Amino acid sequence: MNHKRCIRIFVLLYMLASCFGILSEARAADIFPPPDRLQYPALEFRLPSAQRIELKNGMVLFFLPNPELPLISLSALIRTGSAYDPPGKEGVAELTAYLLRTGGTKKTASDAVDERFDFLGASPSVSMGLDSATVHFTFPKSDLDACLELLSQMLSEPAFEEKKLQIALSLKKEELRRIADNPQKLAFREFNRLLYPDDPRGRYATVASLENIVRDDLVVFHRKSFFPTNILIAVSGDIAKDDAVKKIEQYFGNWENPGSAPAVLPPPSKSARGLYFIRKPLPQSIVVGGELTVSKKDPDYYAFALLDFIIGSGGFPSRIFTAVRNNEGLAYSAGSFYRARGNYGVFGTYAFTKTASTAEAFELIRTILRAVAAGAVSQGDLDWAKKSVLNGFIFSFEEPAQIADQQMTVAYEDLPADYLAAYRSRIEAVTLDDLKRVAAKYLNEKKRLTVILGDVERFGKWPDGWQSPVFLNPQP
Amino acid sequence: MLIRNKLSLALILLALWVCTGSAAAFDLEKRVIKTRLPNGLTVLMLERSFSPTVSLYIRHRVGAVDEVKGQSGAAHFLEHMMFKGTPTIGSKNYTAEKKLLSRIFRIGQTLDREKKKGEKGDQRRIERLSALLKRLQEAHRRYYIPNEIDRLYTENGGLNMNASTGQDVTTYFVNLPANKIELWARIESDRLLNPVFREFYTERDVILEERRQTTETSPDGKLFEAFLGAAYQVHPYGIPIIGLPEDLRFLSPQAIRTIHKKYLRAEHIVIAVVGDINPEKTLKLVTKYFGRIPRGSSQKNSIPAEPPQREERKVIVPFDANPSLIIGFHKPAPPSDDDYALDVLETILSKGRTSRLYAGLVSDKKIADSISVHNGMPAARFPNLFAIFARPRHPHTNAELRDAIFHELEAIRENPVSEQELAKAKNQMKMDYIRSLDSNAELASILSYYELLLGDYRYFSTYLSRINRISAQDIQKAAERYLVAENRTVALLATEKKVTNQNEP
Repeated sequence: MNHKRCIRIFVLLYMLASCFGILSEARAADIFPPPDRLQYPALEFRLPSAQRIELKNGMVLFFLPNPELPLISLSALIRTGSAYDPPGKEGVAELTAYLLRTGGTKKTASDAVDERFDFLGASPSVSMGLDSATVHFTFPKSDLDACLELLSQMLSEPAFEEKKLQIALSLKKEELRRIADNPQKLAFREFNRLLYPDDPRGRYATVASLENIVRDDLVVFHRKSFFPTNILIAVSGDIAKDDAVKKIEQYFGNWENPGSAPAVLPPPSKSARGLYFIRKPLPQSIVVGGELTVSKKDPDYYAFALLDFIIGSGGFPSRIFTAVRNNEGLAYSAGSFYRARGNYGVFGTYAFTKTASTAEAFELIRTILRAVAAGAVSQGDLDWAKKSVLNGFIFSFEEPAQIADQQMTVAYEDLPADYLAAYRSRIEAVTLDDLKRVAAKYLNEKKRLTVILGDVERFGKWPDGWQSPVFLNPQP
Repeated sequence: MLIRNKLSLALILLALWVCTGSAAAFDLEKRVIKTRLPNGLTVLMLERSFSPTVSLYIRHRVGAVDEVKGQSGAAHFLEHMMFKGTPTIGSKNYTAEKKLLSRIFRIGQTLDREKKKGEKGDQRRIERLSALLKRLQEAHRRYYIPNEIDRLYTENGGLNMNASTGQDVTTYFVNLPANKIELWARIESDRLLNPVFREFYTERDVILEERRQTTETSPDGKLFEAFLGAAYQVHPYGIPIIGLPEDLRFLSPQAIRTIHKKYLRAEHIVIAVVGDINPEKTLKLVTKYFGRIPRGSSQKNSIPAEPPQREERKVIVPFDANPSLIIGFHKPAPPSDDDYALDVLETILSKGRTSRLYAGLVSDKKIADSISVHNGMPAARFPNLFAIFARPRHPHTNAELRDAIFHELEAIRENPVSEQELAKAKNQMKMDYIRSLDSNAELASILSYYELLLGDYRYFSTYLSRINRISAQDIQKAAERYLVAENRTVALLATEKKVTNQNEP
């Protein structure tokens, strides 16, 4: 009943529209102008920037006030990372970060630290990345002293209580036991491992490496990387600059400076290549591919970022998404990613597709990359990518905390001081020739690594000319 | 020493609470401009001018619970279809395209009918129709520019454009540079009134992939689906939003249109605009574009209520993964008094390292890997669940962990929580609340959600003062009433190895 009425209404509307074609079109145009021809008011646009302040103890502070809420946000970046794990003791870096937060300090026992933070309703997070450690802490401004006092104890005089280390080790082992329960996580971990063979970046904690770790390893690791000249801090929130400087100096000023910063790791030399399978009988396969590529400091960085946008990170209209998802319905998630560091970069593609279409999705992405490498990009592609990146740039400056963090990251990565200010003009300067040149130069099928996790026996017919895959057998 | 410290801190914080309760930053009621258009649509505006950006939220009081039985997944499917454009967005020649689309639907439906016959279906006919459908779809691409909505938003600087479908509510949102509000109004009102359902059959395949990604290959997804299915035996909260596979595979364009009709009820729509705006000009634009959305007919939704649960329910989900569990208890939805009390209990049980369940089961007994509590699963238009999600730590089992959780809940029923715990929980909730005020998107999301759900965003602005009044007795009473054996559903994921872990070819 309903169903029919609905159709009738549609038909009726349609007849009206066609009978009074001119009239209704004029009206429609009035209400729905072509979206590309809408006129917009000018956007007033300033790029606020944080102040850079060098503290007496060598710590560098980025500061931007934000009085809107009675909160203060603090972030810190420390030059260290899991890539600096001692060989055979993979996991030390991550455990150190975890124990800084949970293992108590020389002045305050861990349980008391937990109780204080929970009572404040504010708790700092300390996390370990591949090549940096980060701290985030947002707290009420009325608790500034209590919060900074505890944070300073945590970072400068941690206790690494043995019982908390045992809990952390046991939780980390459980995480390793469970990694295969998440097929995406497992596939990406193995992809990363193969991306950096014979490189400190490609090592992961294992049950065996965790067995080798004792409390002293954390003490040593902490001493090597947590000291003032190795830390950048960003502060924003409801606090004046002088107060911020005074408080940070008060709580971090007496921290002795024992060491020199660990050397920045040289870029990875070479990734594994070819095809790797992980057997897991699931109805959907994870297809990840990628290669080492251009760094953030390279002049080609901007052209490559736009190229990646066009290939698969620019949302729905990007190549991989349109081909794999729109046209063929092969995946819900498909696209590309580009992670650039100061001295190298990683470009990759992914698609999660049902077992029977594994080979088809793989082949489709390969065809797209080949075409792009051969120069199949247009001025239209470039214009769309540029407009999107330039118009969206304003969102990098939405909140004061984000701006201060961003400038801190630029300093951490040792990028030119005008990196953010010049970003727009560098993107604007990229030409179609640049795009084609970097595509030809950096997209290289022979150097590509592909990892596919799934029900291997039921993958579709594999494209001719592919060497037989290497089977991986990941262990916890 | 420690105790005194904590107590003095408690006093300071309580004092702070009273002082800042009415501080400008919190005083949403003075800053939010609420307008109802003549057609009944509600608009909430909030000016925040640090950056020249704006967050735009449109929420419909339509979700998976509004689906017709046997058409599960239709609301979520419609959300996907809403990105396919309109006659004036994405078409190269709409008159010709429209004819082709009708043919595609005709062939698609014939093909579905044949496939539904299963083994009795005519395989040659299926092949023929599939090939024909594929040809028509390819022909259609000549008339259609895909992903125009996304292209328009991205090219104009849009960020995080997306949509989400819940059991109760469907939401469309985007962040834009503040001068581009008209683009949003133009696109959104057009697709709301005139959506064209393009790429229907390929999109159905995409959604089947989405289901594989989030449910079939995910132990958490599988367990949650089974848990809700057991907890709700009559009410549609028991049916997955993405759809049951048997419904989803053959969902028809007609099922999607049925849901779309429910979008066109202006009084069931809330729009929130938060950011660097001129409220007067913004309202003018919203009125111009959204003013023509019809006031819907007042159809009654006949959604069956879930009858009271009389005995414990158990469900075991076999899966090749490590064990995990979900425990849930039926309870009333907001804004009931008990719901506020259970919000506080959620915090006491699971927020922070000193919370009851974390300290007891992860740190002390060491039998849990992780544990979290969510009051209000899976949604809030109807009575919902107080739910506990947990994973045992090897070699401990689901059964041990389940019993330990029951034991902790028993303690809550038997003794009032301490004043210290209560004060701590309230501080934590207050900080979470304040933190949620510092982003345009978060504010737009929260304001529009409560306005739509409860008819008044002030549920949010008065939230803290309501929470502040909750006593230890309120919590104990709520626990005695709801957290009892006969009212609970327990779902366990049981390890089932499908094959040995051999990875040689």
